[in-house]
Amino acid sequence: MTIASLTRDRLIGLGVLALLVLGWQLLSVAFPQEIVPGVPMVPGWEKVFTTTFVSISRYWPGGWGFGSVATGEQPGYFYALLAIIYHSSFTFLRLLVGLLIGSALGISLGLAVSWSAWGRRLVNLPMQFLRVLPLLALLPLFQVWFGLSFLGEVIFVGYGVGVIFFAATINAVSNVPDVYVENSRTFGASQWRTYRTVILPAILPELHSAVLLALGAAWSAVLGSEFLGAQSGLGYILVYSQAYGFLDRMFFIALLVVLFASGSFLIVNRLLGHATRWAR
Amino acid sequence: MNTSPQIALDAQAVSRGYHRRDGAIINALSDVTLTINSGEFVCIVGPSGCGKSTLLQICAGLNMPTSGTLLANGKPVTGPGPDRGVVFQKDSVFPWMSVIDNVEYGLACRGVPAAERRKIALHYLAQVGLADVAQAWPRELSGGMLKRVAIAAVFANGSDILLLDEPFGALDYVTRHKIHDVLLSLWDESERAKRTVVFVTHDVDEALTLADRILVMRGGLVIDDLRVDSTRPRDEESLSEHEMVVLKRRMLDHLGIGHGMGRAAE
Repeated sequence: MTIASLTRDRLIGLGVLALLVLGWQLLSVAFPQEIVPGVPMVPGWEKVFTTTFVSISRYWPGGWGFGSVATGEQPGYFYALLAIIYHSSFTFLRLLVGLLIGSALGISLGLAVSWSAWGRRLVNLPMQFLRVLPLLALLPLFQVWFGLSFLGEVIFVGYGVGVIFFAATINAVSNVPDVYVENSRTFGASQWRTYRTVILPAILPELHSAVLLALGAAWSAVLGSEFLGAQSGLGYILVYSQAYGFLDRMFFIALLVVLFASGSFLIVNRLLGHATRWAR
Repeated sequence: MNTSPQIALDAQAVSRGYHRRDGAIINALSDVTLTINSGEFVCIVGPSGCGKSTLLQICAGLNMPTSGTLLANGKPVTGPGPDRGVVFQKDSVFPWMSVIDNVEYGLACRGVPAAERRKIALHYLAQVGLADVAQAWPRELSGGMLKRVAIAAVFANGSDILLLDEPFGALDYVTRHKIHDVLLSLWDESERAKRTVVFVTHDVDEALTLADRILVMRGGLVIDDLRVDSTRPRDEESLSEHEMVVLKRRMLDHLGIGHGMGRAAE
């Protein structure tokens, strides 16, 4: 692909995006109905980035030397920004810790099972069930087991991510060409060294798609866990707004999630691309 | 048991059977008994399915005999080990390691200090003519260069016994001839005693170019054991010497495509 066609593709993509933005604005003009007084069903951009944005400042609980709207401060962009930073960082923390725990456990369990033929035989069938179990359906169960705590939320995200990594790792290990393992063994490598220096790097390119899948699952899991009972996070703002019919705030938060999720995909893709640069 | 130190590989009645789907047992190797001396360059020739690769894998410890014993340097083979280096038919160079890290791999497995193994690896990379691509990724190399990396790696690892399983089958004619020279010059290093080489090939000319001794296999049996006394290096010219022509004819007879018989169908 030439540079010229690359920039052309990018321009076309941006054009479509601009059309979507414009289309939304047209919809908001065409359907001015309100869900509650002052909140349209289709909030236009002129509202989203002004009154909606400012209204987010109500979710700033106060702290770091700044008061909150509840204690008499005027709602404004600054407090809205504080609220966004505050709640986003909770969501990110849950996401990150859940991802780390889930990927570490999923990959190491997958590798442990792949260690012997018996390990694979034992988990093969149960794995098929575990993989198709809908993650969000398990959420109430996790809350009963682990409560509405940070730990519970993180375990839930970790579980969702872990299952994906576990299945993908077992599959990827079984796809590593025998010749690499045999080569390593004839050089005198122990099984542990073979795992570390051959199996692990060899499965990375195949795990790439699993990582992106897991990242998507992690975002749904973290928002899902915040829907049910959390007192912070973007998911908390979403359900709270829904309860009062603040559709514009829900739209604003959804946009924020899209932005963050896209950013996280971009970063993870870059990191993985670097780790597997030998394969390109 | 005769474990005289000059014997590198000692196979006693080695058989390898496989269960076929209908329950019958197929012997890929039947009662193979042979000894290979230290420093010998042995080629095993035979049609596909004759058991030559199975025999090599058993020597490597990657495959176990169903009966019989195999000793490498007097010790029973129970699995793969750094005393027996293997060059595989498929590309075995790890694509996620740089060329030099691949050559150092065996040394790293045995805990050789980083500086020392780098020195050894660079020496062998230079020997195979790849010193300038030491830091490259394997994907940047051609098929012939990858084979050189694999050869440098087994030589760097210091194995006394080298097992090569149709290593150059996928290479073009010119590349293959060049790599023969590389292999022979490494084998002929003056600093140390010659290593034992067992080289599996289906190419009769390749065997005649390389070997001190040629074992011909068919149907899981070693059916002939030939000595090649022609001096090295051997070129096209040497292959037309009377002794070589006789050996070649004899091998082709074994393979069913000898003189007067035309090309037999596989």
